[in-house]
Amino acid sequence: MLHITGSSESGPLRDDACAYAVAFEEWLATRPAALEAAAHPIASYEQRVAATSALMRVLYDEGWARYGWPEQLGGLGGDIVHRAVMWEALARHGLLSMAVYEHLEVLAPTLAALGNPALMARLLPRFLSGTETWSQGFSEPDAGSDLASARTRAVARDGGWAITGRKIWTSWSRYATWCLVLARTGTTESRHRGLTAFVVDLRHPGVEVRPIVQANGTDELAEVTFDEVPVDAERLVGEIGGGWRVAMHILAHERGTYGWFRHNFLQREVLDNLSLGAPEGDTLLGNALLDLAAIRSSSFAGVRAHAADSVLGPRAAFVKLMLAASEQAVNDWVLASDPDLAVGVQDDHVAVNRQEYLFSRIVTVYGGSQQMQLDTIAKQILRLP
Amino acid sequence: MTSVVASSDREFLDAAGAVLRSTAPGEDPLEALGWWDLLSELTDHDARSAALALFRAQGRELADSVALGALIAQPYLAVTGHEPGQLVAAIARRSRRGERLVVVGDVTDRTLLVDRPGRGAAVVAASKVELVRVAVPGRLALHEVRVDDAELAPVATEDEAVAARARGLFLGRVAAGLEILGAAEGTLTLAVAHAGAREQFGRPIGAFQAVRHLLAWAQTDCVALESVVTTAVRLDDAAPPRYSEIAKALAGRNGRRVCERSMQVLGAIGFTEEHDHHHFHSRVLALDALLGTSAELTHALGAWCRETRTDPATPVTALLASAGA
Repeated sequence: MLHITGSSESGPLRDDACAYAVAFEEWLATRPAALEAAAHPIASYEQRVAATSALMRVLYDEGWARYGWPEQLGGLGGDIVHRAVMWEALARHGLLSMAVYEHLEVLAPTLAALGNPALMARLLPRFLSGTETWSQGFSEPDAGSDLASARTRAVARDGGWAITGRKIWTSWSRYATWCLVLARTGTTESRHRGLTAFVVDLRHPGVEVRPIVQANGTDELAEVTFDEVPVDAERLVGEIGGGWRVAMHILAHERGTYGWFRHNFLQREVLDNLSLGAPEGDTLLGNALLDLAAIRSSSFAGVRAHAADSVLGPRAAFVKLMLAASEQAVNDWVLASDPDLAVGVQDDHVAVNRQEYLFSRIVTVYGGSQQMQLDTIAKQILRLP
Repeated sequence: MTSVVASSDREFLDAAGAVLRSTAPGEDPLEALGWWDLLSELTDHDARSAALALFRAQGRELADSVALGALIAQPYLAVTGHEPGQLVAAIARRSRRGERLVVVGDVTDRTLLVDRPGRGAAVVAASKVELVRVAVPGRLALHEVRVDDAELAPVATEDEAVAARARGLFLGRVAAGLEILGAAEGTLTLAVAHAGAREQFGRPIGAFQAVRHLLAWAQTDCVALESVVTTAVRLDDAAPPRYSEIAKALAGRNGRRVCERSMQVLGAIGFTEEHDHHHFHSRVLALDALLGTSAELTHALGAWCRETRTDPATPVTALLASAGA
């Protein structure tokens, strides 16, 4: 606790991510109870989220989870490199995933940059401390890869807005208090120019969250319907008609850096399964390690770019493709190594292996499909006709 | 081609390419580049990355020199007393006839380093050995070395050779990885140009999504390889165990994939002697066969990780430190 007793104490760790890494490692070596409770295979998604939230609370109280975020949002200063260090260490010490806190990295940087400062000063500390989490309402039944055709509407009402429509594949809405919703304030024909981003309270009457149980048995996805849900003017993110910019801000940052956060848990998955490995699988394992090395160095460059206030732009598509390749390569090896994965679930370790394996088959779909990433490279980088 | 390499590296890569293209026969392009001077400064990040950028340029230009063997021999110079440029390492290769030594490039007037694990290192003048040309396409001068053991002058005991051998292998594997990257980029550039120019069904074939995606995958494989080999150059001594094996294995795997996808886009013309594709492809195959093939290294990496329960990931503190370099 000493390191957060004052700004003079937090300074050295804020200014030196290496020092932060060393200090955090020392703290983790004491095996705090909240880490022990979360750092093992937990098949129940609900229990996994609860254990991770309890860990976030402790990390916030001890100060570790506040590095990397500005002081006005409950942070202690520093940048994304601190967060990259923290999650890497948590994965290495046995945490299986970020669970709902993936959205801290996906949404919070954009909310901090483009959201209403007073609102974010109230809401984001609750996110950092594991108290209230967020989901992202972008996709719709008829707007997947073609996000600009979204039809959920926001109409001006009583100095604010009222939102009506349906969002789908909104990760972790079941666990979330808040949802960042992309809604149409212009005509359908206005495509991406007529979209606006809003912060919606999922507890409000008129919101219905229907969890979607996935093929791997987890229920992190949901369909969310909005029926005339009122939203205050301060809950607008960015400008009216600026929703596309908000979405692109999120995607540009997420695609370049998400690979760093995610791949550390794949590294963890390898270590957790080494005892199951057999010589027959060594080439599969070696291949997975090659892919992990590539995503590690590439996504670290994305983190550095973010810290230097630049983005990878279309180059983020490479990182996204490499992450999916490594996720599938790791799980190809796990499938070959765990004799129970395909046929039966006796315990949480097998159950989690099965969940992860099945999930690795869909990583080429979510967050911008593989085909869209390849199109981006062909058009914007190779400049093909 | 897009790149994440720093602009100073980029400058040296371009300069090396220009020199390699314009050197007259009989001249030493490495001399013209000041490359031999870099060799004694490999602990310096900028010198090291410039020295290694040469290999990527060689792959792109299909140029050929003794640089690979000279780089591998560099860590031995303190023991042998040779000047940079004098000593060139012979590389052991597993052949159907058992282990054979090969040298890359024209070794006339050089001294060859023969380091055999378990037996220490020895040297021999190139004039004292028989050099048998190996018919490798890809504009690569590769010679098999036939040497009488009596001609070998010991220069380092096994104990003395161990550290130099590890360092030489690290440098050699990273260099070969960069040359494979350059060759893969070379043929991908041809394939991208072809996709923009060649028309079928009234439009360039690069307008068809199937073709675009092949090329996008090939570019992704190049970018992944570039990231790992340039990270190896930056990390140097701070690289985790087996990182140069990872870089070399990835080079062989990704390099071959890039060549295969490029050839698919090039179509039949890419499978002719008159087209340059096969030079790039053959160079990738030949370099994959030296200093550990992708197949061998990948399997050994998996076995080592499984048996020793080692986490092969680069520590984040090493990445942070090297990013500042």
